[in-house]
Amino acid sequence: MSTAKSAPHAGGAERGGEVDDTALVRAAQRGDREAFGILVSRHASSVLSVATRMLGPTADAEDVAQEAFVAAYNALSRFQCDSKFSTWLYRIAVNKCTDSLRARRPDISLDSTSDESSIAWETADEETPHWELEQAELAWELDKGIQALPHLYRESFVLRHIEGLGYDEMSAILGVHRDTLKMRVYKARALLCQSLAHLDRAIR
Amino acid sequence: MITDEQFVQRFLDQELSAEERVRFVVRLGHDETLRTRVIELEQLVLDAGRLPRPIVPERFVAAVMERIEPAPSLWRRLAEAFVAPHSLQWNLASAAAVACVATLAVGSVWVVTERESASGQQASTPVLVRLVVLQPGARTVQVAGDFNGWNPSRTPLEQASSGAWTVMLPLAPGRYEYQFVVDGRQWIADPFAAEQNDDGFGSRNAVIEVGPVNTTGAGATL
Repeated sequence: MSTAKSAPHAGGAERGGEVDDTALVRAAQRGDREAFGILVSRHASSVLSVATRMLGPTADAEDVAQEAFVAAYNALSRFQCDSKFSTWLYRIAVNKCTDSLRARRPDISLDSTSDESSIAWETADEETPHWELEQAELAWELDKGIQALPHLYRESFVLRHIEGLGYDEMSAILGVHRDTLKMRVYKARALLCQSLAHLDRAIR
Repeated sequence: MITDEQFVQRFLDQELSAEERVRFVVRLGHDETLRTRVIELEQLVLDAGRLPRPIVPERFVAAVMERIEPAPSLWRRLAEAFVAPHSLQWNLASAAAVACVATLAVGSVWVVTERESASGQQASTPVLVRLVVLQPGARTVQVAGDFNGWNPSRTPLEQASSGAWTVMLPLAPGRYEYQFVVDGRQWIADPFAAEQNDDGFGSRNAVIEVGPVNTTGAGATL
């Protein structure tokens, strides 16, 4: 049993230096909890970002983000290090978000790709950040717009333009063909432009 | 046929060939509608990339690690603490229904005081004191002291996991000397007790001072 002073060594993974994810994963697979803790702190921002964009900025999003890491930990022995850890983690996070959305609205099919945003996801009331008013307004509107997108479009848009992933990685995460993902992203962009059209964008 | 819209989107993703790109940019030069569309989409992508990222709460990592492996049982924490001597203080809100925090001395002996749940607390109300000693190899452990007439057979300890032995004693406030008896023959006192008494037989007793119960919880000091 490890104590603060005698954590089992990761064998090759140094503490505090620039250790890559693969080394940390291998250490965690051998039982090094601290190594997994480092992975969590490294990727918390990304997972939380996806959860927040998919579920809205609520306590639910934070809970789902935590769940994603717990699920990753429990499934760690199945991760073969043949892809990036972040790709694998994103996949788990996206699935957890989808599960959560399904649980919220079991009557709505998340797989519909209708252009009509008939789904009005609730957004939590959030305090306006202390920015210039135009920027704040835009961010608020954009956030609402993203929240209002059909699930599949939102998923793809968030991974592409919030997380900045390429189509290849997105395909690995979602298990969907690149071309299909591109179409979803195109549709998402078009819908968002539409929903933001009322803003006076000449200011920027 | 590839529509304008698809061209625009592919342009945005930088997926046009060099030749297609040149032709497209030339078109942009004299097609204001197309140009507006491109600017609109480019701006959207730019804004999306600039959206604030949520702040990871300070407790996030700790919360995850806690869910992965919940806090170990009281006994295991004590066993772990044994290897890392330092002053221990924790809130024993465990299933053992302990209700207050005790500051423990360094060493192999821990004393935990539990508040009497009964009402009517007076200066003489007995305080429940839990003694814990780590003796992993022992077959039996008893305690002998002022509170049981120095008769170890009256107060056997129970073995918990991880080699910890424990007993709960109701003690009226006061000062008590005691020692543990391991396997019926080895008498040990707490080597780190703050107060040591010479019992006249060449060995030192451990001492515990039990304070009265008050609103902040009972206290016991070694």
